Amino acid sequence: MARTFQVGDTFTHVRECDRYRPIYYAGASGDFNPIHIDPEVGQAAGLGGVILQGLCTLGWAVEAVGIFVGDPGRIRRVKVRFSRPVRLEDTVTFQGRVTALEGHRLVTEVTATNQRGEAVLKGAVVEASIG
Amino acid sequence: MAIDKRFIGREYGPFSYTLGAEKMREFALALGGAHPAAGTPGEPPAHVSPLLHDAQAAKAGPYGDLIAFPSFAVVFAIRPFGAAVSDPELGINLLMLVHGEQELEFLDVMRPGDVMTTTGRISEIYEKAGMEFVVVTSESRNQRGDVVVKGTWTAVVRG
Repeated sequence: MARTFQVGDTFTHVRECDRYRPIYYAGASGDFNPIHIDPEVGQAAGLGGVILQGLCTLGWAVEAVGIFVGDPGRIRRVKVRFSRPVRLEDTVTFQGRVTALEGHRLVTEVTATNQRGEAVLKGAVVEASIG
Repeated sequence: MAIDKRFIGREYGPFSYTLGAEKMREFALALGGAHPAAGTPGEPPAHVSPLLHDAQAAKAGPYGDLIAFPSFAVVFAIRPFGAAVSDPELGINLLMLVHGEQELEFLDVMRPGDVMTTTGRISEIYEKAGMEFVVVTSESRNQRGDVVVKGTWTAVVRG
């Protein structure tokens, strides 16, 4: 079943940073930086509490494109700038758009915004192989 | 206190890491939104690909085995970056450190039992808008010597 993709195709993926997600991600990834698990340290660091690991947000952007192309093994590149922390109980909406098809390479631009409409990633590009 | 630019080019590694199926699965499920309670983890969220957690489905799939979620690579590929920002000679206050940018390239999938060897180096140190930036590049090869993951890691030290 050959699926076809076109420049301009769009997709949406929504994820919630539930209260314990930074702790679950810490356990799975090994990133136990206390700014992700200890509210007092987050306060002391001037972050207003714990924040989600940026690499988890990156992973969600990758997940969005992996679902769009139907196979996480086809992701070839991801590039993001972390522009704003994701906090507990934030909902992040990922909106992607295919910007180029180059041979078997599909290029998408992905925005990630919280429930207040603020960007948590900037300039996110995710590429996948569709060959 | 500015970070001394003479550290540009400093190398870290090699660091070795063997991929285990359960760690790969745990990562995919934690990232994917599952609840990791011991004994009663529940069903994986429907959007999480079976290739990442269902060994039987994955063996019948395009890669012949479970594969790691792509960004599972950070678990091992982060080592040179972690070593650089905590290098006492650089003198970075880790509480003032934020992860500014990240790029990862995936040249192949990763399967259980793969042995990854990661090396990295500080490629840039610069100041912008009153903050300091440290950029580390990494390269991870599998047991066959093939480059599987390349990373560019950018730390920002708030002033």
